[in-house]
Amino acid sequence: MQRRYRTVPDLKVNESARAIAFDDSALACKLTSMGFLPGTRIEMIRKSPFGSAYYVKVDGVRFALREEEAASILLEM
Amino acid sequence: MHGDEGSPPLKIALIGNPNSGKSTVFNQMTGLRQRTGNFPGITVEVKEGTLHFPSGQEATLSDFPGTYSLYPTSTDEKVVASVLTNPADPNFPDAMVYVADVTKLEKHLLLFTQLLDLNVPLLLALNMSDSAAELGIKVNTSKLSEAFNVPVISISGRTGHNTMRLIVELEKMVDGSRNTVHGKRQTQAGDPVNREPFYPLTELEKQVSEAIRQNLGVENPYRALLIAHHANWLHFLKPLEKETVATIVSTKSFQSLRAQVDETLERYDRFTPISQATVTSPPTFPNTPTDRIDAVLTHRLGGPLIFFAVMMLVFQAIFDWSSYPMDWIESGFGTLSAFLTSQMPAAWYTELLTDGILAGLGGILVFVPQIAILFLLISILEEVGYMARVVFMFDKTMRRFGMNGRSMVSLISGTACAVPAIMSSRTIGNWQERLITVMVTPFISCSARIPVYLVLIGIAVPAIKIGGIFSLQSLVFGAMYVLGVLAAFASGWAMKHWLHRREHSFLAIELPVYRMPIWKNVLLNTWEKVQAFIVGAGKIILVVSIALWGLSRFGPGDSIEQADKAAQTEAQQLKLDTLDAEGLVQQRRLEASWAGQAGKWMMPAIRPLGYDWKIGIALLTSFAAREVFTGTLAILYNMGGLEADINDRSDNAAKATLRERMKKEKFSDTGKPVYTLATALSLLVFYALSMQCFSTLAVVRRETGSWKWAVLQFVFMSVAAYLGAWAVYVLFS
Repeated sequence: MQRRYRTVPDLKVNESARAIAFDDSALACKLTSMGFLPGTRIEMIRKSPFGSAYYVKVDGVRFALREEEAASILLEM
Repeated sequence: MHGDEGSPPLKIALIGNPNSGKSTVFNQMTGLRQRTGNFPGITVEVKEGTLHFPSGQEATLSDFPGTYSLYPTSTDEKVVASVLTNPADPNFPDAMVYVADVTKLEKHLLLFTQLLDLNVPLLLALNMSDSAAELGIKVNTSKLSEAFNVPVISISGRTGHNTMRLIVELEKMVDGSRNTVHGKRQTQAGDPVNREPFYPLTELEKQVSEAIRQNLGVENPYRALLIAHHANWLHFLKPLEKETVATIVSTKSFQSLRAQVDETLERYDRFTPISQATVTSPPTFPNTPTDRIDAVLTHRLGGPLIFFAVMMLVFQAIFDWSSYPMDWIESGFGTLSAFLTSQMPAAWYTELLTDGILAGLGGILVFVPQIAILFLLISILEEVGYMARVVFMFDKTMRRFGMNGRSMVSLISGTACAVPAIMSSRTIGNWQERLITVMVTPFISCSARIPVYLVLIGIAVPAIKIGGIFSLQSLVFGAMYVLGVLAAFASGWAMKHWLHRREHSFLAIELPVYRMPIWKNVLLNTWEKVQAFIVGAGKIILVVSIALWGLSRFGPGDSIEQADKAAQTEAQQLKLDTLDAEGLVQQRRLEASWAGQAGKWMMPAIRPLGYDWKIGIALLTSFAAREVFTGTLAILYNMGGLEADINDRSDNAAKATLRERMKKEKFSDTGKPVYTLATALSLLVFYALSMQCFSTLAVVRRETGSWKWAVLQFVFMSVAAYLGAWAVYVLFS
C-alpha cells in the first residue's frame, strides 16, 4: 500500500509541504511549542554537512531539526 | 515608600522565548548592576539585577532562561516551570515581564498565554521594534492590550527605545495590583486579577487540577495542572505529595504528553486570530541577507571549512593578544612578591604570603587574559548567530560520540577553561548527552596546560623546521590539542556505549537572523565567564596553593631543619656563592618536606612512565592546578630566583635555563639522564590527559548533582593519563 503521507526528510531542497500531524508525542510537544503546527508549511532549505540534520523554514523562521525530529513531522503528499 | 516596609524587595521575572532578545532587555533595564542569583534546588544560575523605579522604589529583576513553553525539555528551561509552580519559592515573582520578538509574534505568544493563566501581574513587552519598523511590520498595541487584558509596550533592547516607559508601566502595574488587595502584597490568598483563564481546561484536566488543588492546597487551577505534568521532577514537592499527584494522574488516566500537545494547539487556535488581527506584516521576501550568508556558512563543504578557519583565527588571536597582559600580570606579582620579601621579616608567614597566597593569586589571574579573549570571541560568534549554525552543522558528528550539537559550544570553550565550559552545557536537554559533554570537556587542552607544554616541548623536540616552513615544535604543540580532542571524542564514544540510556534527545534549535552584535551583551557575557573562572576555579586554586605551600614548606619531625643544616654544610664544602647556596638549601628542604616524602614514596608507581621522584613531587604539587608543575621543577632543580620567571612566556631565557638544567638531570640509581625524549613525551601525554584540576571536579559535582561522576571522571582521566604516558614512554625509549 502506498503511504498517504511523507515526512520532512523526504523533502527535496527548496521544496515545501504542509504539516498534518506528528507521530511522537514527546517530540510533538517540543515542536508545537516552537511553532511547528499542523497546517503550517515547512520548507526544506538544506541538509547538514554531515547529514542527519535539516535546515528548515517555517513562516519565515529558520530551524535546525535532527533526523528523528524531522521524521516525526508528517507532511501532506 | 509604598507601605511595605519590612517586606522583602519586589521580585520581577523577565521571561521569554530563546532569541526573544530578553537578555538585551535585561541589560537595558538593569545596566551593570547584575549578579548571579541563588536559586535553591536548581543548579542553573539566574542573573539578577536591581531595577530602579522613577519613584525611588527598587525591585529585583531576574533574567530567567529562555524557554518556548512551561513544558520544558532542558535543565535550563525547567527553572521557569519550577519557580512558577511554587508560590513559596523565594524567587516567585510579584510581577512578570514577558519579552516577545514582535517580528515573530505569532510564535512567541504560546508561553505568554501560559503565564496569563498563572494570575501573576503580567506585562507584554514587544521587543525588536527597530527591526519591525525596518521590515514594515505594524502592531496595534492598544488592541493587543485589550485582547489580553495586560499592558503592552513596544520596546527595542538594541536601541534602548522605550526602556524607561517599560519601567514606568511596570511600576504602575505592580502598584495597581497591590492596591486591589488593600495595599498588602499578594502571595497566595485571593485572585489579584479576576481574569478568565485564557485556556479553558478540558473536563479531564479540570478533574485532575481540582484533585491536586484540594490535596496539595494549590490555589491556581493552571498551576495545579502544571504540577500534575511535572510532579516527578519538581524539587519542592515532598515525596508524599509526589505520590499523591502520581495517584491522581493514574486514577484519572491522565496522559501528560498528549494533554500538553492538545493544550498547546488549543492555545495557538485561540491566540492566532488575535495576533493576526493586531499585527500587519508585508509579504516576506524569500532571499534575505541571512539566507545568502547561510548559503555560504552552512554549505556542505564550505561550512565546516569556514568553521575550522574561524577557530584557527580565534586561537591565533588568543596567543597574539594575551601575551602582553599576561606578562604584565606575571611581572606585577613578581615585583610585589619580591617587595614583600624584602620588607617583611624572614618568617613562615612571609613565605605563606608570597609563596602561598600571592603565588596562588598570580596563578589565577595570569590566565584571565586568555580566558577573557576566548570568551569575548565566542560571545561575538554567539551574538551574531553563528554558534547556532555550528550546532546544526556538527550535531551528527557529536551524536556519534554520545553528545549533542550544542556540546560544540562547551568543547570550544574548554580550550580556555573547563569550568565555564562545563557550565555552558546546561542548554543540552538530554541528560546523557549533557553528562558526556561534562565528562569529556576537561580533555580539551585548556590555557593552564600551555606553560607545561611549552617547557616540555622545549626539552623533547628539536627546534628544527620541516621543509623549511613548519617548526617541529609548533607541530607538536598543535598535536597536543589534537590529542585532547581525540581523547574527548573517544571517551564520549565509550561512554555512549556504556550508558546506553534511551531517553528523548532534542536538537530542534532556532537559527536566528544574523545581526550585528550588541557590544554591551558581549562584554557582560565575557565578564560573566571570567567571573565564573575567578570565583569557581580561583577560590579552589587559592586554597590548594596555600595547602601545597604548607606541604612543601613543612616536613615530618625535624627533617626540614636537618636538611637545612646538611645543605648549608654541603654548600660551604663546595664553596658555593650565596645565590647557589640558597638554591641548594631550598632544594634540600623541599626534598625533605611532606611533598618531597610523598614524591619518593610515589616512585615505584611513576618509574614505569620514566619519571624520577622530583617529577613525582611536581606531579603532586600540580595535582590541583596543572600550571604549578614548572614552578615546582624550578625549585627542585635549584633554579633559585628563576622560579618566578619560569611561567613567563616572554622570558625565554628563564625557560631555556630550566630546560638546560632539566636535560642534565640523571636518575640517582642508574645514572642515566631523566629527560630523554621518551620521558618528556610521556609527561606531555600525561598532562594532556590527566584530571589535575580541583576546580573542574567541583563544577562537575555541582552540575551533575553528585560526587559520583566527579570521582569517576577523576579516576578515568588519571588511568587514561597513566596508560597513555606509559605507552608513549615504552614506545620511544
